Amino acid sequence: MSVTDIVFILTAVVTVGSAVVVVVSRSLIYSVFSLLFTFFGVAILYVFLGADFLAGAQVLIYVGGILVLLLFGVMLTHRLYNLNLTTERFQPIAGTLIAAAVFASISLAAFKTKWKLVGEKELEPTTQQIGEAFLSSYLLPFEIASVLLLVALIGAAMLVRRRTDV
Amino acid sequence: MNLGNLDSLNFFYPELILLGGMLLVVISDISLKGLRVRINPLLTLAALLLALFYTLQTDHGSAMTLFEGMLALDNFALYFKVFLLVAGILVLLGSLHSEELAAVHQGEFHALLLAVTLGMLLMANSAHLVMLYLSLELVSLTSYIMVGYLRSDRLSNEASMKYILFGAVSTGAMLYGFSLLYGMTGSLDLFAIRDALLAQEVVGFNQVTLMLVVVLTTAGFGFKTAAVPFHFWCPDVYTGAPTPVTAFLSVAPKAAGFAILVRFFLGGLSQPAGGQWGFISGIDWPLVLIAVSVMTMTLGNIAALTQNNLKRMLAYSSIAHAGYILMGAALLTGTGLKAMLVYLFVYLFMNLGAFFVVTVIFNSEKTFELQDYNGMFRRSPFLAVAMSIFLLSLIGIPPFAGFLGKLYIFGAVIDQGLYWFALVGALNAAVAAFYYMRVMKHMILENDDRPPTPLRISALNVALLVLLLVPNILLIVFWSPIDRWTANSITLFGGL
Repeated sequence: MSVTDIVFILTAVVTVGSAVVVVVSRSLIYSVFSLLFTFFGVAILYVFLGADFLAGAQVLIYVGGILVLLLFGVMLTHRLYNLNLTTERFQPIAGTLIAAAVFASISLAAFKTKWKLVGEKELEPTTQQIGEAFLSSYLLPFEIASVLLLVALIGAAMLVRRRTDV
Repeated sequence: MNLGNLDSLNFFYPELILLGGMLLVVISDISLKGLRVRINPLLTLAALLLALFYTLQTDHGSAMTLFEGMLALDNFALYFKVFLLVAGILVLLGSLHSEELAAVHQGEFHALLLAVTLGMLLMANSAHLVMLYLSLELVSLTSYIMVGYLRSDRLSNEASMKYILFGAVSTGAMLYGFSLLYGMTGSLDLFAIRDALLAQEVVGFNQVTLMLVVVLTTAGFGFKTAAVPFHFWCPDVYTGAPTPVTAFLSVAPKAAGFAILVRFFLGGLSQPAGGQWGFISGIDWPLVLIAVSVMTMTLGNIAALTQNNLKRMLAYSSIAHAGYILMGAALLTGTGLKAMLVYLFVYLFMNLGAFFVVTVIFNSEKTFELQDYNGMFRRSPFLAVAMSIFLLSLIGIPPFAGFLGKLYIFGAVIDQGLYWFALVGALNAAVAAFYYMRVMKHMILENDDRPPTPLRISALNVALLVLLLVPNILLIVFWSPIDRWTANSITLFGGL
């Protein structure tokens, strides 16, 4: 087993393990903090795939931006502890069965499908390629993404408007 | 023919106009304090009409792709662009005199209506998985905001929340399906995906994986079209949203969802072969669509039987109609596709009509309950007759347009020799007749003791109802242009 394999397995364990904690933890604040490890783990997985820019963006946006926002949101909620997060209808048996079936089919697909592989590739910086793609073949999606963000902004502005201001 | 970014702009006027209109509405909303109430709807209407005008003017010759293969421009896309713009215009007109929306600030509503229309136009054209996902998200995100537009209304908030949660999960499933497809073919372009699948001859476990892709992506499209089993959000969202928004959701994003479904399955996963699409060897995805179609109409109709809230009843009925429309798509033939387009077109007028009657009655009565519709015929004969025509059309009773849709759909199914499928559809139509007739019975036959006070309807709403009644009554006479138009519209890029 090479060093790479060990690092990969470690990363995978931390990523999945912390994701499990996010779901099962009873306290919101623990969930948010363990999400930190999940996000970092995903960033390292991007590095393994040779996606350097994506890994950087993942850390900057998810860890630096979204997680901090989430933390603020959690800290500003009224009842931080003893919060019952489960829904009224809890169906352990049906839920477990469906989860198991989904897991089985997805992992079977991952292992047994004949994927289209490109083979080992030399590691090279991807930032320039991404930038060029955005301004050539992916120009339209790039622009439409900004429309999407504008709509999200309008929605946010609508949500925070005071009720009296009609 | 594949056009680059600059050349594509010549065929992109409708979308550019919508985008420009949306920005103008946002600007006028913050700068023209006194005039904005009058100017915003006019700006929105002008943008939609101008976009419709340019769409009708588009002369693209043969089918081609725009923006480096991101969008496909073919007759099929043009049909949906016209359809969606007409739906946008009708919904805008219907929202102008709605008491529900009158209580809140409407500037964003008009901007959002333009944004969602833009998203739907892109959705109907997408030929690339990235574009497909992005336009779907644009439509979904805008719809979430529009559903929760009545901020002080608890039901509206709850509806929006439910919509977001269901939307996020089904989009996630769809994206996972896309990633599997990318892993198998190494491409995001729909036509390149098809070529790759045809070249490698899907065998062995790849068949199972492709089936998984079909199921997962159906979750995404099924969410947009409210097909069973991805319909759970539908009744609550339709009930909680402002009625004009409900009317909009029940027609336009649904149609865009069908457009994208057809483009994905027929354009990406099947091979064209003269009049009939053969699906790629080894996977029987039409069977998935047929199963979804049967479940959708049956469950929608049965659930609608017991509803006493009219909005909720129409929500279930729109689920059932999604099932009928899916019958056409599941057939994989030109006739089936054409039947689907005809059905969608008549569905636009009958369903919007029914929802507008509900809006008008809510304006003066503040209720959606069926009991409160008692004696409506004595209070406003026009409204009762209009509603009856829309409902009879929804049932599919002959002189009205709905019959045309059912005729084409069932004709196409029987053409394929799927008699049991047609029988299930016919049984469903019979069940549906019961709950539609029930509304008519309450409006016309049952009277309460109160003296009948005349119901006031604004002139604009009367005009709009007449505008919606005309196609419902006259389409049956002038069906040949529709027949020709839809027959032309089944040409898909890279298809037949």
